[in-house]
Amino acid sequence: MFYKNILSALILFVLLTGFVRVSRLIPAAETKKWVISETSNLSVNGTTNINKFTCDIPNYGKTDTLTLIKGKNDKDLVLSGSVELKIQSFDCHNSMMTHDLRKTLKASTFPVLKINFLSLSKLPNLTMQPELITGLVDIEIAGVRKRFDVSYQISTDAQKGIHLVGTRDVNFSDFNLIPPRKLGGMIKTNDKLNVSFHLKIKAEN
Amino acid sequence: MKKIFVSGLIAGCILFVLSYGSLFLAVKFFPSLFTEYFNPLFNSDGSRDVLFYMHAFIFSFALSWFWDRFKSLFKGVFILRGIEFGLVYSFIALLPVMWISFSALDITVAMVASWFAYGLAQAIIAGMVFAKINP
Repeated sequence: MFYKNILSALILFVLLTGFVRVSRLIPAAETKKWVISETSNLSVNGTTNINKFTCDIPNYGKTDTLTLIKGKNDKDLVLSGSVELKIQSFDCHNSMMTHDLRKTLKASTFPVLKINFLSLSKLPNLTMQPELITGLVDIEIAGVRKRFDVSYQISTDAQKGIHLVGTRDVNFSDFNLIPPRKLGGMIKTNDKLNVSFHLKIKAEN
Repeated sequence: MKKIFVSGLIAGCILFVLSYGSLFLAVKFFPSLFTEYFNPLFNSDGSRDVLFYMHAFIFSFALSWFWDRFKSLFKGVFILRGIEFGLVYSFIALLPVMWISFSALDITVAMVASWFAYGLAQAIIAGMVFAKINP
């Protein structure tokens, strides 16, 4: 009788739970939505053999969303989403240089610079103290996409806004671009550029 | 004809060294004068570099013919003949070209003035060379 009761209980359990998806039993991956503010900005610093230049996009001008998905362990962090920046929005604080940069980046054919976010090295603590983390991104310029490991500084402000500041050195040649050279190469832009972006983010749950 | 070619070639070699040498030094020591050249008007990709460096020879062969045709008009010692030759070239050819360039292109007065001075100096040097080789 005792074994019969146990068997009945087991059958009842199987009937009650057999049609429940396994994914409901295992805790779901933690997902966070980060909304990028339109006041986010990007700047590109470069040098020539005669001067230094800074070209920036002072305002992103639209909002986009990044999704942070945390897997079973802290190392499984997927950051998905992208930002698209108009090449025409670059301002080098010198109209000729601005036009020259747009021409170099082939703005008429490829009007958008795209940064695709792929991952973060660890889940940020999100405190006011800047935390150094790294992450993978795909940067697409002039139709050429390259993967880079980007160094980030992440912190929060008093209003709980998240500040993600990313920096990375890239080369014109990484994107099959020829750095501008003038007067038979007497004046030339160096291949290396420092790209830095500051994403101002609001966390959404 | 041979004299035109030889004096053009010699003047071309001298102008090549002096022109690009002085340009190199100017870029090195007065870099701020050259920031305006980061302008889409100027070729950026290096595809015309050979043409740029041939300029000294194109210039000297053209002036060599001009010198041979009108050298009798330039009197005095070779330095004076060179200066007069350079001034004549600059007023009849360079000045109108600079005028139309400034009026049509998005370039500065300083840039046009430097091109005029550069062309004038080149023509004076070429004139002195011609006055020596093909008097």
